[in-house]
This record gives sequence, structure tokens and C-alpha cells, in this order.
Amino acid sequence: MISNAQPITRQRRARSWRSAASTSAPVRRRARAGVLAAGAVLAAGTGLAACGSSVSRPAEAAPSAPAAAALSAMSAAPIANATWATVPMGAVAGPNEFWQLFRLPAGNSRWALETPPDIATNGAILLAGQSGPGGGGAAGKAGGGATAATLTAGVRPSLDLSFSPITTTADGGHSWVTLPPESGLANQADALAAAPDGHLIALSQDHTADVFSGGNGSWTTLTSEHSLAAAPGARSCALTGLTAAAYTPSGTPLLAGTCGRPGTAGIFSDTGGTWHQTGPALPAALAGRTVQVVRLTRIGTQDVALLEAGGPPDASLLAAWTSDGGQHWALSPVLRLGGSYAVSASFGGSGGVAVVLAGNRGATLAGPGNSWRQLPALPAGHAVTLALPAAGTIDALAADGGTLTAWQLRNGSATWSKTQAINVPIQYGSSS
Amino acid sequence: MPGMNSGLNVDDPTVVAAFRSALLHQAIIALAIFAVLSVVWVSVRERHDAGTAGAEGAARCPAEPAGHRVLRIGFGLLWLLDGLLQVQPGMAAGLPSRVIEPAAAGSPAWVQHLINWAGTAWSYHPIQAGAAAVWIQVGIGLWLLAAPRGISGRLAGLASVAWGLIVWVFGEAFGGIFAPGLTWLLGAPGAALVYVVAGGLLALPDRSWRTPRLGRAVLAGFGLFLMGMAVLQAWPGRGFWQGSQNGQPGTLTGMIQSMTQASQPRFLYDLVSGFESVVRGNGFAVNLVAVIALAAIGVAFLTGRRAVIRPALAAFVLLCLADWVLVEDFGFLGGLGTDPNSMIPMALLAVGGWLALTRTAEPAAVAVAGTAGTATAAAPAGAGGGPAAGPDTAVPDTAGPGGAEPDTAGTGWRDRVRPTALHRWVTAATFGTMISLGAFGVIVLGAVPMAAAQATPTASTILAESIDGPAAPINIPAPDFTLTDQDGKPVTLSSLRGQVVLLTFLDPVCVSDCPLIAQEFRQAGQLLGPSDPHVKLIAIDVNPLYSQIDYVRAFDRQENLGGIADWKYLTSSPARLRQVYHAYGVPAETLPAGAMLGHNDIAFVIDAHGELREELDFDPGPGTAATESSFATELADAATQTLHSS
Repeated sequence: MISNAQPITRQRRARSWRSAASTSAPVRRRARAGVLAAGAVLAAGTGLAACGSSVSRPAEAAPSAPAAAALSAMSAAPIANATWATVPMGAVAGPNEFWQLFRLPAGNSRWALETPPDIATNGAILLAGQSGPGGGGAAGKAGGGATAATLTAGVRPSLDLSFSPITTTADGGHSWVTLPPESGLANQADALAAAPDGHLIALSQDHTADVFSGGNGSWTTLTSEHSLAAAPGARSCALTGLTAAAYTPSGTPLLAGTCGRPGTAGIFSDTGGTWHQTGPALPAALAGRTVQVVRLTRIGTQDVALLEAGGPPDASLLAAWTSDGGQHWALSPVLRLGGSYAVSASFGGSGGVAVVLAGNRGATLAGPGNSWRQLPALPAGHAVTLALPAAGTIDALAADGGTLTAWQLRNGSATWSKTQAINVPIQYGSSS
Repeated sequence: MPGMNSGLNVDDPTVVAAFRSALLHQAIIALAIFAVLSVVWVSVRERHDAGTAGAEGAARCPAEPAGHRVLRIGFGLLWLLDGLLQVQPGMAAGLPSRVIEPAAAGSPAWVQHLINWAGTAWSYHPIQAGAAAVWIQVGIGLWLLAAPRGISGRLAGLASVAWGLIVWVFGEAFGGIFAPGLTWLLGAPGAALVYVVAGGLLALPDRSWRTPRLGRAVLAGFGLFLMGMAVLQAWPGRGFWQGSQNGQPGTLTGMIQSMTQASQPRFLYDLVSGFESVVRGNGFAVNLVAVIALAAIGVAFLTGRRAVIRPALAAFVLLCLADWVLVEDFGFLGGLGTDPNSMIPMALLAVGGWLALTRTAEPAAVAVAGTAGTATAAAPAGAGGGPAAGPDTAVPDTAGPGGAEPDTAGTGWRDRVRPTALHRWVTAATFGTMISLGAFGVIVLGAVPMAAAQATPTASTILAESIDGPAAPINIPAPDFTLTDQDGKPVTLSSLRGQVVLLTFLDPVCVSDCPLIAQEFRQAGQLLGPSDPHVKLIAIDVNPLYSQIDYVRAFDRQENLGGIADWKYLTSSPARLRQVYHAYGVPAETLPAGAMLGHNDIAFVIDAHGELREELDFDPGPGTAATESSFATELADAATQTLHSS
């Protein structure tokens, strides 16, 4: 608001300004040149920014050698007068995936849920069977002198659990006895094995092989991947990784792995503290292939190995059996997988082998001296495990969420028959 | 990004209630600040001669330049709006996960690391952070509106620059300039950066606004920016030229599609989805129009010729408005919108630049009334309507608040802070000055609590309370027990008289909650520090099947608890352990099918006399860094309070 008060002015000499139109020509030209230069710089910078901020293309994957993938821990094996099978159920992965343990007593036709209690099985359940008298063994001592054949189960680390609880049962899963925990079982189907006397051997995720001798003892390191690779008796293999642990029927530790030297099956036995190579000699057709021992386990009085030579699109499978700690091996015919690959493997009482292949396929081998048999398309399910509960009988356990469906392929049949459905009360959300 | 998210539900009632309560209390304080300032101002002016005050306070300032006024009022209102948007109930718990984290998506790791730090800081103190954002922005808005010129006005501009930079870096992840898909159409280079530029312009001395040079510079800069954005928009391979490709939406189509999924009125949804359909079917044409428009407007701005700039400016404003509605979807609808995005600020900045070019303030001296309360000096006749003519009548840049200031030429700072000088200053100050002071006080009201909270490295206990509620007081003797610790030594509870005991039950083979609780106990132990010798941290093995010492030792190794001096993990035989569970009301239930043992997550506070004083529900919730820290703080506070009261 303007009042009638005496105006107070303060003037000072100020530079008069001129409109743009009256700016002198040289000044205009210099200004324009500067603007154009700035514009060029800006455009260039923008172009660089555009390059950097363009929709990112995925980096081209560097060519790499085919990776030797571990088989899933889904498996079945005859232990302690029954066939035991492990299957992941619930969600496909994550904290709502729970591994389950099923048991089929010998001569029985009904599978039963026997998952160890009071331990979250978000990590795979690995099995080890102690056949024969178990009086002096680890499980025997821990269980107060149980003498029956014992199943040992180890649970792989998962979520916030970084070590592996170990538990045993001598009565078919009705009661469980705890053994000292292992530092963390490796992600291999045969990372845990039991000797006839109950000693345990485990592959740890820190690349060591550990043993437990029972009683009030604890796990101790037998050897490491690095040490084994450097051992004189194992050097020729050029070991690149441990994949399985087992015992011979006489209680000698066996370790298996992948050899960098082509055509070599990396199986090693520990004789008096010295490791030496004891794997089978492979057929000439596999001489130039990298061989991975994907399974090695003791079934009764023999050790059974499953070897994978090469990789997709030209992988092959080969089974091998030994009853004398690796001095002599019987080999199966080679099963060419072509572009497929093995997903999981199971074993039968007479050394039979059943393999789940990618693409919902399967193949079995009745034992030494037999040929591979291709199976009909496997039953549907997000996880399927094969089992060989009796000669001539093949079971397929198909998991879909909380339902396990048992199918059977009888001798001579070309179709699967549904035999049982089990609703497993998965405790979704209990691990998160 | 780990750590950033508190893990709480955005609408968690405890956090929302605490946020509302804090805002209410601070609003009362803000009102009190204004009330006190008003009372002081009125009182001082009434004591002093009003006429003298008017004469002394006579404004000798020219009119505020039109461009300056547009920017000041426009951005003042925008800051106010942004501050009010921060009052949304879900803002305290939800800003890191709903705003900050998505903004940083796609940015390089170093940007995400920076953003994670800020998000984590917010998550640790959500109430103080949420309230700070409200009051700082409201304060800046008020300040800009109340201070048209002088030191106060420039300081308001600087405040806008400072907070705008903070928002641009931490809230907008540098406006997404380091992430793919950058486009002006969706807000590049970030709305907050426009606030920064506007604030910077407002912080310039008054003399900068007296010539068209500033306007020319602003428009030239804008022109270069728009040309750069046109180049970016036209760059091949970024997906903007395709409305859809192989059945998948193109880049722009996808961005607009995401806008349609925000909660909004039906008519708006129809509008935006309709435009999405147009873009999907005519991606090339739409992008071509955008590129040509941006480039043409940019070139026009660069020419400096008014006849060219005027229509370009009109086109630019229309383009901004259209983009604001059809592409940015008003910017703040649905979810947790914090501002109206970039188009309105851009349009304001362009208009401000135009006015700065064409309508500088009348430099001639003006006669103004000496009436107190005239916040802005009367505009000179004809000013604001056309270019000024004649010599400038410049005002010293150190003009005081509201532009009215006693002549302090030749006085030092000591003289200026003497009571008499201050008295004169208050007398001469305008109402706008008082509002500016109050606005500054509001900014401090928001900033100080947050700064104080950031000085503590631990999270607020509000997070723990929102997950599990407050502690339940109890007052009964703690049942005694004798168990074995991880070293194999016997431990009896009654032998710990004289110390405060924090007791919990942990499963050594647990895969989720128990490791988290162990970490919270570990952090509580570190927080207790000097009190540590008087506090014992004890866990009891709650899994009878896995009760061997090897398992408690394995758990201790896993959780790195060996370094905690007063940590005890106790176990015993299954039978004895079950007796303790029963005494403390802790269930240990076997669940089927591979589930871990079922037990509750609980913690007890036992005082130095062996009395159970508190029972805390200790479900760790989402287990984020913020909630872990919050639970640890709750535990440490409970121990300290019990220690002092024992």
C-alpha cells in the first residue's frame, strides 16, 4: 500500500542493462559459440550416459567347461531289513521344502513315514546303513548297546543351521538316538557312510573327510580334498573334488571324486594311513572322458559305484561293483544318456541300481552281469525317487506337495500301478 | 537390500499410533513456537512507538521480481504438499521398502550401498525419521512463502537446496540417473533435483534477479537439458520406440502400465490405461512426438529470443501437464506417494526462468507506508507488468527479514546482538519475518530428534513392541534349577543372586528363530557394556533330543557366542530339562514331518533377588537388522532398569 509519507529513496549508480536485441554482434557470436560448444559437450555426454543407461543386455556368458553336477540326495537303499527312501516334499525349494524319510519293511507292501523328529529337515536327509552286528559301533555305544542293524541319518545345513545333526535308529524309526553333530555335510548324496562296526565317515562342506569312532568321541578329520589330491597314490588322478564316502565290507574307508585326468575313476581306499587309487579300469570308449563318481555306497557285502563319464550332450553312465575293497571290479554296460543327465540314483539289495533321468525317464540295472533296462515314463510329481525293494520290483515314490504316491512296476509290466498314497502333514511356515 | 527394510507391515498399528502421537506432540510444539514468536513480536512492537517503528521500518526495497515470486511461492507450496504427504500413516514403517528401495532398483552397487545406509537409518528410527520428513518439508515450505527477499529468503532457498539434495540422493537414488530406463517422461533426473535448482536460484542475491541474464541462463540450461533428454529418448535399443515387442510391452508402455496398478479413482485409471493402449499401439509415433517436442523446445530455449521462447514455453507447460496426468499419473496416487513427481516443478522452473528473462523488478525507488505489518514493500507503480526502465535502485543484499531493517552501516556483529539492537530489529521486523523464524523453528523441531536418534547405533524399541507388544510385568520367585553349561560346569540359578539374569530357551538345531534370538542376546550383551558383570545372559536347551553338550557348543560356534563373557548355554538330561520347561511354562512339542521342535520364543528378566520381574514375548519377527537391534535394545534396557531398581 502506498502512503503519503515522504518518499525515501536510495539510489546508487547501477549498470544499465540492455535488452538482448541490443547486444553487440561479436558478443552474440561468442555467446552462440559457447552455447553450441556446451551443447555438443552435453550431447556427447548424454550419448555416453545413454550407452550406460541403456536397457542392460545380459552379459555374455563366458564359455565354460560343463560342470559336474551332484546327484540329488533323493535316494533309496536297503538298510537294516527294510528299504529306506528320502524324498523332498512340500514346496519345491525354500523354507517350506521338507525332506521326508520313508521305510518299507522287507516283505511288506506299505511305506511308512519315519522322518526323524525334532529337527527341521529343510536340508536333505542323508542315509548311512550299518549292516551286521552293531555292538562295537558308534550307534551301538550311543544307543546304550543296541545290537540291531542301524540306520544313521544326517541332515544337511539349511537356513540358519550351519552344522549337521546326526541321529540313529535301531528299531525302524520308532526311536532315535543322537550322535555328535558333524560340522556340515557336503551336498553329495553319499556324504555320509557307516562301517559295519558303526564307525561313520562324512564329507564336509569345507572339503574334508571326517570320521567318528563312537563313544564319547567327536568328529575328527581323516583327510582333506587337498591332501588326498597330493597323496602319492592318488596324484595320477588329478583330483578336482570329493563326491562320495563309503566303507568296504571290512571297514576300510573309501573316498571318491572327480579326476581331472580323463578316463580315470577316482576311488581311493585308506590302507594303514596311506591312500591309493582303487577305482575300476574303464572301457576304452570312455578313455577320453572326464569321469565323476556320482554315487559310491556299500550294499550288503559289496560296494557299488555309479560313474558318469562326460557331460551333456554326450554323457554316459556306468555301474561298478566290488566285493574286495576295489581290487576287482565288475562293470555294467555303458548307458548312453545323449542330451539327458542323471537326476538321482537308488540301490537294491543285490546290487541293483535305479536311475532317475531328466525328462521324467528312468533306467534300472538288476545287478552285475545284467543290462540296463529303460523304464516307462515315470509317474508325475515334482520329485520322484525310485526304489528296488525286492528282486523284479521297482517302486516309484512321487511327491507332490504334501502327498506321496507310491507306484509299482511289476516284473514284465509296462505300466505303473498305484499302490499307496500318503498324506504327509507338512508344517508349512514352521521354519520361517 | 539387506538391512534396509524393518520388515514390519507398513500399516503396523503400533508404529502408526506412535507416529501419529509424535506428530501431534510436535504439532503442539510448533504451534507454541509460533504463538511465542507472535506474542513477543506484538508485545515489543506495542511498547515501541508504532509510528516510529513504521518510519524506521519503512521498506526501501524494490518489488520482488516476478520470476523469483513464482519460484518462491510455487516451490513453497510444493514443499508444503510434500510435507503433508509424509503424514500418511504408513510412511514411518513403509518408506524404506515402498519408496527408497524401489527407487534404487537397477542402480549400481555403490548407489544401492548408499541407499541401504539411509534406508537402514530410517528403519532403525522410523518415528523420528517420519516426523523429521514432515516438519522439515513443512518448515521449508512456510519459510519460502514467508520470506520474499533478503537474507531470510536466501537462507530459505539454501534450506531447499540442502534438503532437496538429501531427498535426491537418498530418497530418489540420484533420480535414477544410474539405472537403466532413464527418461524425462517419468521424471528424470529426479523431481528433488528440480527443487534443488529452484532453491539455488532463490538463494541468489537480489541483484541477480534484476537483469535478464539469470532468466537467459536458466532457460539456456533448460534448453541443453531438454536436448539431452531428447537424445536419450531417441537412443535406439532402449525400448522406447516400440509400443510392444513380441507380445511384451515396450519400455514406456510398461512404465505407464505400472502406473495403472496404483490405487486411484476410476476415471483416472481409465485415462491412464487409455493412454497406455495408445502407446502400446503407436509406440513409434508417441516417442517421435516426445523426441521432437523435447528437442524443439530445447532449441527454442537456447535461442534466447523471446518471440521463440514464448510459444515454446507454452508448449512445454502443456507437455508437462499432459505427462503429469497421462504418464506420471499425478505422481502421488496409490501406495506411498511422497510428492507430485517432476512435471509441476519443471513447469514452474521454466516459467520462473521466462519471467526472470522478461519481467525483472522495477528498479526505481518507491515510497512505502510505514505501517507495521506490511510484509512486502509496496510494489512500484507499473512494476511487475513490464520491463523496468531507468537506473536500478538497488537494495543491499544484507537486507534484513522482510526487507525492512534499520540502518546498520558501520556497526559490527557485537553491536548487532546488543539488546537494544535486537529490540530495534524485532520492532522493525515484519510479520513475515516472524513466520520465517517460526518456520526455521519447525525445521529444527523435525531435525533435532532425528539427529539425536541417529547418534545412537541401536534401533528404537518401537519395532520390538510392534512385533510382540510390551513386556508383561510379573513378580514371583524364579524357579531354581541346576544344569550344565557349555563348558561342562554346573550352574545353579540361585548361585547367581546379586546379578540380573536374562533367561531364554533356545533349540540348538533350530533353523530360524533361535539363531536370531541368540544374536539379539549377543547384541544386548554388547550394549550392556560396563553393566555386563552384573548381568548374566542364559539360554537353556529346549530340545531334549538334541541336549548333548556337543550341540550347545556347535550352536555357540555357529552364532559366535564364545566372545560374550557372561553367556551360558545350559543343558542336561532330557528328564531334568523337562522339569525346567514345566517350571517356566515353556512347551516343547514334537511336530511331525520334518518340522523342528515347537516351542515359544520367550525371555525372562530375573532380578538380583531371584524374582521373575518381566516376561518378554521374544518372537524375533522378520529378523531384519533393525528388528534385531530393537529387540537387543529392549533386552538391554530391561536389564538396566531391573539392575537399578534391584
